[in-house]
Amino acid sequence: MAAENFSESNNFFNEGGEVLLFSIDNKIYGIEIEYVTEIIGVQQITVVPKVPSYIKGVINIRGKVIPVMSVRNRFGIEERDFDERTCIIVVNFNGVAVGIIVDRVKEVFNARPKQISNTPDFKNVNKNRFIRYIINANDEVKLLLDIKTLITE
Amino acid sequence: MSKFESGMEAMVDMYIYETTTLLEQLDQILMKTETASEFESEDINEIFRIMHTIKGSSAMMGLENIASLAHAIEDMFYIIREDKPVIKDIKKLYELVFNASDLLKAEIDLIQEDEYTATDFSAPKDNIEVYVTVLKSGGAEPVQEEKAAPKAETSSAPAVSSPDDEISVKVMFDDDCKMENLRALILINKIKDDCEKISFEPADIEDNPDSAKVIIENGFLVHFKSHTTPDVVISGIEEALNVKSYEIIEKAAPAPIEVKMDESAPVKIKMEQPKVTAPKAEEAPKEASPDASNNVDHINNMLQNKGGAKQSLISVNLNKLDQLMDMVGEIVITEAMVTANPDLKGLHLDNFQKAARQLRKLTDELQDIVMSIRMVPLSGAFNKMTRIVRDMKVKLNKEINLVFEGEETEVDKSIIDNLNDPLMHMVRNSVDHGIEDTAEDRINACKPPVGTVTLSAYNSSGEVIIVVSDDGRGIDTEKVLAKAKKNGLLTKNEKDYTDKEIYNMVMLPGFSTNEVVTEFSGRGVGMDVVRKNIEKIGGSVSVDSKLGEGTSFIIKIPLSLAIVDGMEVSVGRSIFTIPISSIKESFKLKQGQLIRDTEDNEMIMIRGECYPLIRLYDIYGLETDQKDLYGGIIILVEAEGRSACIFADELIGEQQVVVKPFSPLLNEFNVKQNGMAGCTILGDGSITIILDVNNIISNY
Repeated sequence: MAAENFSESNNFFNEGGEVLLFSIDNKIYGIEIEYVTEIIGVQQITVVPKVPSYIKGVINIRGKVIPVMSVRNRFGIEERDFDERTCIIVVNFNGVAVGIIVDRVKEVFNARPKQISNTPDFKNVNKNRFIRYIINANDEVKLLLDIKTLITE
Repeated sequence: MSKFESGMEAMVDMYIYETTTLLEQLDQILMKTETASEFESEDINEIFRIMHTIKGSSAMMGLENIASLAHAIEDMFYIIREDKPVIKDIKKLYELVFNASDLLKAEIDLIQEDEYTATDFSAPKDNIEVYVTVLKSGGAEPVQEEKAAPKAETSSAPAVSSPDDEISVKVMFDDDCKMENLRALILINKIKDDCEKISFEPADIEDNPDSAKVIIENGFLVHFKSHTTPDVVISGIEEALNVKSYEIIEKAAPAPIEVKMDESAPVKIKMEQPKVTAPKAEEAPKEASPDASNNVDHINNMLQNKGGAKQSLISVNLNKLDQLMDMVGEIVITEAMVTANPDLKGLHLDNFQKAARQLRKLTDELQDIVMSIRMVPLSGAFNKMTRIVRDMKVKLNKEINLVFEGEETEVDKSIIDNLNDPLMHMVRNSVDHGIEDTAEDRINACKPPVGTVTLSAYNSSGEVIIVVSDDGRGIDTEKVLAKAKKNGLLTKNEKDYTDKEIYNMVMLPGFSTNEVVTEFSGRGVGMDVVRKNIEKIGGSVSVDSKLGEGTSFIIKIPLSLAIVDGMEVSVGRSIFTIPISSIKESFKLKQGQLIRDTEDNEMIMIRGECYPLIRLYDIYGLETDQKDLYGGIIILVEAEGRSACIFADELIGEQQVVVKPFSPLLNEFNVKQNGMAGCTILGDGSITIILDVNNIISNY
């Protein structure tokens, strides 16, 4: 599975693709659109005890119970209260559905291969393992998230 | 399932299901005949048919090792059936077949794993073949007689050629007899004893299922040189199963001779060279991958052949049933959402209420039906024990009767699957440890010389209770205590243990009272595993015993895992569901009931008994305003004979809930080990967490 994922990502690197952009504070992040199932508003979250703090709990999406995580908490950014723009992006990776709480969803952006660059490969500098690629377009930097690391590690 | 080509997965399931069923049938027949100590011809036919089907489908799946072992057994029973030899060493026969059946079962289990490599079955196969040789030599005379008979019959037919010449015969099989290659193989086996020299085309009938196609198209070509006269062999071909017609292709035959066979197709004798009609072995390469639909037909055919009585049954993928169950769960919840909608509050809607009642009735029925679909009688699991007891009887030299009671009791399929192992351990335990070692011991204890192990099952208030009991020596509490002390398993003063507590000690990890470790039990792993497995499916095990009179293991399991009766309690903003089955009572704390020990552990005294107090908000780190024990509610829960009081803010109400498993993501964080069994969606769409009382008691 790992190999497959790698080649998929490589595909993205070589061919580009659609990315769902969202923002946290002023930074823009992206998720490859193929992983995104839907975007919903914030709804009642049931707290699950004894799990890491970035798992906010579980929500009910049409009868399915899925966990939601806060990217703010996951990235170590200070958390803030939900507002009317706060959204949950439901992603599905390898059959595991997870909701990701983000400040606001922006747009779907078609990234061209030219605009995609690898994250710097220094072991000490590039500590942010959640970022897969950097997309640089329209004088704006967008950080493409590595869904696998985000969900499984 | 990497072993199988893509597209075969669906068939693998079918194959596994079918082969397992057949092997169980085989065991049952063997056990029946062993008790009756005679083989009815029907039984032999049945075994022959079972092995034949297994061989056929295994070969089809490319599982050569299974096919070849099945083939060896099939051959053996073929000889038993056809030649009726005098079976001298019947014990050996049973041993061989039981052994083979076990190997096959183990192999089938292996197939289900991803990393499957075929086990080498040549050793058991050789054993069987050696035995077959013994059989043949033992029953040589009747074989000879049989051969002689057809000779006389056919001698009137025109002699086709002198015995010295090699003869070629092209055989066509019945149009849709299926698995032509295996039919051909049977044919070869039948006639080869009469032949000095034999060869056939296609040559790879034994291991290439594709050769069946070649046979259908071109016929099956046999070249042979007979011991005596070719007529013997030809009549053998004529008599073989499923042979539609045959033609004798003679290289230098003078004149065509017409031979009529039954009333079926006339048989012509061709003058052509055999090479013209003979399919070349190279023409049947693997490239023609087995036609999937054709294979499915094979399987369907096999399933239908199982007997007319089962034709009203269909086999359904369990996943579909799970989906159906989920869907019904959704409907039940949605129904509650509609009929108890807050928007309707205060409105008088007579017609709506009527319709809602009707809807509720229907959904209840629907739920019952779906649940009943998944219900499987326990007899299957029980029958497997017959085999285990039989093996142990032989090995341990004990006389034991296995008695079933209420084996028609039904439980959910998913539970049955998890029940086999625990049952096996318990039955082994009863036979090995429970029943006295010798008949003399039993007679001395004024008991019948033959020990009895009883498996009984019955329904009791939403639970199924399974009891494995023996009339053996019972558990010696002093021995158990001494052993527990030696192993450092005691947690309180020896004298403080009740008998019940002592009995249940035998299920602690690392506990075995048997001094000698036997092949079957005594390593102290078994009973611990039993408890774990049963708990995994939401059940519980307890032990009861009377010294000198016997021991009973009592398993309580829920009828179904999917729907539980739960009590909702709130803690701060969270809601938890506690299964009603584990709640004994709930009450408001009164002055004087609370006791604190020197370490400030809180305990509650109820009717003279002291129970530890667990504050839910405390163990789960939740925020709540209700921290005053006298303001909230105390729920007395019990699991596995241990009780505790759980403190929550308030009781919300009782509801039937559909259990939803946690996402794999959450399971990684060990939520299950922290006393959470699953979650459920309430009528208003909110989620609650179902508590695993047993886990909470043991953890906190």
